[in-house]
Amino acid sequence: MFGKLDLSAVPLSEPIPLITSAVVILVALGVLVLITVRGWWPYLWHDWITSVDHKRIGIMYCLLGVLMLIRGFADAIMMRTQQAVAINAEGYLTPEHYNQIFTAHGTIMILFGAMPLVLGFMNFLVPLQLGVRDVAFPTFNSVGFWLTASGALLINISLLIGEFARTGWLPYPPLSETAYSPGVGVDYYLWAVQISGIGTLITGINIVTTVLKMRCPGMSYLRMPVFTWTALASCLLIVAVFPVLTATLAMLTLDRYVGWHYFTNTAGGNPMMFVNLIWAWGHPEVYILILPAFGIFSEIFSTFSGKPLFGYRSMVAATLFICVVSLLVWLHHFFTMGAGAAVNTFFGISSSIIAVGTGVKIYNWIFTMYGGRVRFEVPMLWSMGFIFTFIIGGLTGVLLAIPPADFVTHNSLFLVAHFHNVIIGGVVFAIFAGAEFWFPKAFGFRLYAGWGKVAFWCAFIGFWVTFTPLYILGLEGMTRRLQHINVPEWGPWLYVSVVGVAILIVGVVAQVVQLVVSIRDRELLRDVTGDPWDGRSLEWATPSPPPFFNFAVMPNVEGEEAYWGIKLRAIETQQLAPEPKYAPIEMPVHSPVGVYTAFFATVFGFAMIWHIWWLAIVALVAAFAGFVVFAWRDVHEFEVPAEEVARAERARRASREALLRKLSEEGALP
Amino acid sequence: MSNLASDEELPTGVLDNREDHSPGDEPLEDAGHWVRHANLGLTLSILLTAGAFFLAGSNIIYGPAVPIALIVLAIAQMGVHLVFFLHITTGPDNTNNVLALAFGILVVFLIVIGSIWIMDHLMQNMMPTRMEDMMQMQP
Repeated sequence: MFGKLDLSAVPLSEPIPLITSAVVILVALGVLVLITVRGWWPYLWHDWITSVDHKRIGIMYCLLGVLMLIRGFADAIMMRTQQAVAINAEGYLTPEHYNQIFTAHGTIMILFGAMPLVLGFMNFLVPLQLGVRDVAFPTFNSVGFWLTASGALLINISLLIGEFARTGWLPYPPLSETAYSPGVGVDYYLWAVQISGIGTLITGINIVTTVLKMRCPGMSYLRMPVFTWTALASCLLIVAVFPVLTATLAMLTLDRYVGWHYFTNTAGGNPMMFVNLIWAWGHPEVYILILPAFGIFSEIFSTFSGKPLFGYRSMVAATLFICVVSLLVWLHHFFTMGAGAAVNTFFGISSSIIAVGTGVKIYNWIFTMYGGRVRFEVPMLWSMGFIFTFIIGGLTGVLLAIPPADFVTHNSLFLVAHFHNVIIGGVVFAIFAGAEFWFPKAFGFRLYAGWGKVAFWCAFIGFWVTFTPLYILGLEGMTRRLQHINVPEWGPWLYVSVVGVAILIVGVVAQVVQLVVSIRDRELLRDVTGDPWDGRSLEWATPSPPPFFNFAVMPNVEGEEAYWGIKLRAIETQQLAPEPKYAPIEMPVHSPVGVYTAFFATVFGFAMIWHIWWLAIVALVAAFAGFVVFAWRDVHEFEVPAEEVARAERARRASREALLRKLSEEGALP
Repeated sequence: MSNLASDEELPTGVLDNREDHSPGDEPLEDAGHWVRHANLGLTLSILLTAGAFFLAGSNIIYGPAVPIALIVLAIAQMGVHLVFFLHITTGPDNTNNVLALAFGILVVFLIVIGSIWIMDHLMQNMMPTRMEDMMQMQP
C-alpha cells in the first residue's frame, strides 16, 4: 500500500534534522494560521498563487530562491563548523549525515537558490525592458514556477521523511547506483531535480520566445538592454542543455528503478559516460547563472555612472561568445578521468579562451565608470566588490584550466574556493545588487541604504575571510568533503574560515534587518516617481510598482537606452510627449493550472521515491487531466477598459510631470 | 523587422510578410497550400521509411554499406520533416526558425562529437590490456 514508506523513515535518532523540521513545520503552520485568521487567502489565491502576471511570478521565484539560500547557508554553517571541531576528533555530525549535508548544500544552492533568483529577475525584468505587457506564454510561466517550487518542496521533505543523497551534488555512479546507495536519498535527488528541471526548461522557452517575438515597436535587437541580451543567451543555454540533464538523470533513474545498465560497471555500462553527460549540462549551467548576473551589473554600472554602457556592442558580442564557447569546455571538470593529452589540451585551451569574453566585459564595466559621475549607492558597492572578487575567481579558474595544474588541485579545497569565489562573487553579489536596484520597482519603496552598506561590507569581508583559507588549505593538499581531519596543521586555517562564516552571518542578519526597517519606514522611502535611480531602460518608465499591464500604450523606441532618450526629450522640451489615445487592453486571465499541476507533480515525485506505484499513476493522470481541462478553456483573456488604462496612465504622467519640474528646479537641464 | 517609421499600420490579425513568423503562425489564406504540402511530406516520409526497411532486409546494395545508407535515409527524413511539417524555409519570414535550427544542430553536434571523442580517449592512461599493445610499450 505505501511502498517502502513506513514509520522508520523518520530519523528519530538524529536530533538535528528532527528539530529543524519541527521548527520549519511550526513556522509554516504559524504562517498558515495567520493567513487564515487575517482572511488573506482570497488575496493570496487570486493575486499571487494563480497569477500569470510575469512580475508576480518573478517575485515569487525570488522569494523561493531567498528561502532556499537560507537553507543552503544553514548547511554551509554546519559544514564549516564540523570541519573546525573534527580535527583528530569525530565532530558533531556523523559521516552519513555530513555527506547528506554537502550534497544538499550544492543541490539547493545551485538549483533551488541561485536558479530561481536568476529566473525571477528574468521574469520580472525582460518584458518590462522590452516594453511589452507579458511574456509569450503567461500560464506556461506559472506552471514553470510552480514545478520549480515543487522540486524544492521534495528536497525539503527529505529532511524529515527518509534521507537525502550522500553522493555529492552531482550523483556520480557507481556510488549513486542501487548497489551502493540503496536508500531513497538518490531518488529524492532525481525526482526533485527532474521536476524542477522541467520548470526551468519551460521558463527558458518562454523567455527566448518573448525576446525573439514580442518586442515593442522600434526595439530592434541592438537596442535591447544588456540584461535582456544576457537573459536571452542564458535561456538559449537552458533550452540547449536542460534536456541533456533530463536525459542523463532519466538514464540513472532507469538504472535504479528497472535495473538497466547505462552507468553500471557491469553488463556494458560505463559510469564515466554519466560524468561526461552531466558536465555537458553542468558547465553551461554555471554560465546560465553568471550571464544574467553580468547583465545586472551592466545595468547598474551605466545607471550609477550616469553614462551609457561602454562598448555596448562588444558586450553583446562577448555575451554570445560566452554562450557558444560555454558548450565547449565541459571536460575541464574531469581532466583527471583518463583522457589523453589531445583531449585535455583542447578543453584546457577552450576553458582559457572563454575568459577572454569575460575579460572584455570587465574592461567595459571599468571604462563605463571612467569619466562618469559615479554614485556610491548600495547596488554600486556590490558591483565594485564583484569586479574585485570576480577577477580573482576568474584568475584561479584560468589556473585550474591548465590540465597539469588541475591534476594537483583537482577536488581539493582550492577548487571549492574557486567556484565559491565566482558564484558568490558573481551570482550572489549580482542578486543582492539587483535586489537593491529593482526593489523599488517591484514594491514601490527603496530599501534603507545604511543596513544595505553594512550587509555589503560584511558579505565582502566575510567572503574573503571564509574562502582565502580554503585556497591555502587546497594548496596544502586538503581535499573537499572531509567529514573529519587528521592533519592538525590545517586547524588554524579552518578556524579562520569559521570566523569568516560568522562575519557572513552578521551580513545575512543585516539583510533581514534592512528589509524589516525598510518595510517599517516604507512611507519615508516611497518611490513616487517610478524612476528612483535616474535609470536608462524602459522599466523605469513605468510607475513603481508597475500596473499589471505594464504599459498603457506601447512605447515607441527610437534608439539605444530607450527610457533615457524619452527622458532627455522631456527635459529639453520641458513637457511630456502628447497624451496618446487610450484603447482597451487584452490581458491573460489568471489560472490555477500551474499550482494544480505542481501539486500533483509533487505527489507523483513522492510516490515514485517511495515506490507507491498506484499513487504515482493517480497523480500522473490527475496532472494530465489539469492540462486537458486547461486546453479546452473558453476564456483566455479579459479586457481592461480604456478608462482604467487612462486613469493609470494619467497618474503616471502626473508623477512624471512632478519629476520633470523637480529636475528643472535642480538645474539638470542639458 | 519592420521598425521604420514609414511602415504603414497593418490591421490586427494580419501578419506582415516581412516579419518573422513562428511555425503554425502562417496567414490563413495559405491553409490549402499547407495541406497539399503536408500530404506531399507524408508521402515522402512513408517512402523513406519503407525504403529503410526494404534496404535493411534485401541485398540490393553492398552489405557493409547498409548502415551508411540507413543514416542517409534518416537524415533525408529529418529534412522532409523540417521542410514539410515544421515549414522551415529560406524566406525572410523564417530567419528565427533557421537560426534556432542552426543553433540546435550546433549544440547536438558539439555534445555528440565531443562525447564520442572524450569517451574514445579515456583508455589513454590505462595499462594496455592486449598483448600486442603491451609489446609496443617496450622501448
